[in-house]
Amino acid sequence: MSAQLPANLSAETVREISDARDEPEWLLEARLEALEALDTLELPDVIQTPGRRWTNLEALDFESLVDPLNQADETTREAPDDVVVLPFTEAFDEYGDIIEERFGSVTDPETNYFTALSVALFTTGTFIYVPEGVNAEDVKIRAEMNSRSLFSHTLVVTEKSSSVTILEGVESGDADVDGERYFSNLVEIDAGENSYVQYGSLQNLDEDTYTYSLKRGDAGTYSTINWIEGNLGSRLTRSDVETELNGDASETKIVGAFFGHNDQHVDVNARVWHKAENTTADLVTRGVLDDHARSVYEGVQDVGRDAWSTNSYQRENTLMLSDESEADASPKLIINNHDTEASHAATVGQVDKEDLFYMVSRSIPEEQARNMLVEGFFVPVLEEIEVDEFREDLEALIAARLH
Amino acid sequence: MATLEIKNLHARVAEDDGEQILRGVDLEVKSGEIHALMGPNGSGKSTTSKIIAGHPAYEVTDGEILLHLEDGDFGDVDIPEDARTWNLLDLEPNERAALGIFLGFQYPAEIEGVTMTNFLRTALNAKIDEREELLFGEDEDAEEEEAGYDTSPMEGNVDDGEVGVAEFQKLLKEKMDLLDMDEKFAMRYLNAGFSGGEKKQNEVLQAAILEPSIAVLDEIDSGLDIDRLQDVSKGINALRDEQGTGVLQITHYQRILEYVEPDHVHIMLDGKVVKSGDASLAHELEDKGYDWVREEVYEAA
Repeated sequence: MSAQLPANLSAETVREISDARDEPEWLLEARLEALEALDTLELPDVIQTPGRRWTNLEALDFESLVDPLNQADETTREAPDDVVVLPFTEAFDEYGDIIEERFGSVTDPETNYFTALSVALFTTGTFIYVPEGVNAEDVKIRAEMNSRSLFSHTLVVTEKSSSVTILEGVESGDADVDGERYFSNLVEIDAGENSYVQYGSLQNLDEDTYTYSLKRGDAGTYSTINWIEGNLGSRLTRSDVETELNGDASETKIVGAFFGHNDQHVDVNARVWHKAENTTADLVTRGVLDDHARSVYEGVQDVGRDAWSTNSYQRENTLMLSDESEADASPKLIINNHDTEASHAATVGQVDKEDLFYMVSRSIPEEQARNMLVEGFFVPVLEEIEVDEFREDLEALIAARLH
Repeated sequence: MATLEIKNLHARVAEDDGEQILRGVDLEVKSGEIHALMGPNGSGKSTTSKIIAGHPAYEVTDGEILLHLEDGDFGDVDIPEDARTWNLLDLEPNERAALGIFLGFQYPAEIEGVTMTNFLRTALNAKIDEREELLFGEDEDAEEEEAGYDTSPMEGNVDDGEVGVAEFQKLLKEKMDLLDMDEKFAMRYLNAGFSGGEKKQNEVLQAAILEPSIAVLDEIDSGLDIDRLQDVSKGINALRDEQGTGVLQITHYQRILEYVEPDHVHIMLDGKVVKSGDASLAHELEDKGYDWVREEVYEAA
């Protein structure tokens, strides 16, 4: 079932956005194509269990959520000198050809209704270009959302034997917006031969916001794409993080952390496609739920026919702090090449009573002991983060939610 | 001098139709004494230890557990007259620990993501804070509030508790040396990936840091090779000799008693302490077995 096209959306709207940004013709065309595709595109699949559709995307009222011409954000970008980190509008002159070649090459704008809507309407985001042989640490992008709706598109291109670690933070700004909001975030990574990317994302939008995020990487020969996906904000989060291992000996980690409370709904998905030889994937997600929060996780490891000598591992653990919270997890392993070492596992549980008693018996009050256990539960995720500021932010947000 | 006094303790598993496990345990352990509690599987030894510490899986149906304190039990802290006798059954597990009860676990929990250093310093500071509150009733209101959801019970303790980071590091190193433990343990996660012997050493280390009045050690000798057994025994003797801790040591075997000589030996059968004596009782038991005790007790009765 596709969602209805909001009345305030037209080719005219899209032209206005593109004109205001002084974009090249090809991008306007790409936007218009995406807009046109909305008529036929479906919403992304969601997990269904008997009698229940976990994430009700159809209920999103785009008519009121999407306000394409009044998008506003305040985004800061910090980066070392030898790497290009710019808004698209400032990058077209010098890097127009690269952008034209790679934009939409990793994530097809017509993947689903949300992606097409995002490509048609995006007004913010970042172009990150790491030239051959450059090692860049601590690229930091911090975005504040200041409008009813905001559509963001980020493209990361790493050339041969380069490396980069990136932090993307997304928060709500002070702008006075009543009622529900919508944030859309597409991230594409095109990792060149023998390059390394760690892309960390921390979403902490206010709890009136509905968030859709699709992050997708194309890993070339000997390259590594590591994702760290932190979701603490939003009323509803739908997050998909995906890597296609297209080059021989390419690797990926998809590491996720979420912490839902109140009435938050978290729908996180991690997927990897092994399409070449000697590829390795490690999917690790840890989530905590309190109050009435709900989470649903889908993890997919798809080992293709030509993926000889594959290593692929997946673990997901959800910890529930209240009796009212709910979680569903669905780890999937599809193997079309027998030369594979793989594992997949998911658990949903509560704080271990014996662990808790052990700590309490050492004088630590129960509440404090529980909080230490929860913070410890996230450590496997925190340990993967290479941008210190990102780790500190995530730790602080977890601690704040516990106390 | 502290005294742990267990009187006519009856307890069952805390669930519907839970099995009755303890049927009138009487036992008294004083600071500076070493007691061995022996008995066959299922006689209630471990249950007794867990109930002393306040494990929620058991329900006490009769009897009491008293802790009597005197000046000197907490260094130079003066203990108020009205805070010298406590019924442990009225206290939360962390409050019991704050008053000097320590349980060494037979199967210590493995806790990922919490370092030994963080855990032990947090515990030590929490112990000092809680003890102050229990003895002097300070911060009653603050405590109520701290137990609530929105406040921040961690900050005070973790960041700037009574014992600071540097001071604690020094204390930890000293105690680890004593137990012949590698320094690297301090930065490892609590028991995670520790061998059976390392976990038991770690239990004794924790007792050495927390300086309990009474330490109940549940099968601290199980799973230890002879070298580790000697390290652990040395640690237990040091608890008694240097800190004046009273030790209630639960064991199946005579072996550890060669290294940690008990002042008193008690034998449990069917949820009761049925026989007590000095160290020679353990030797006699080793020779004659539990059937001898059983026959003797039930014939007499």
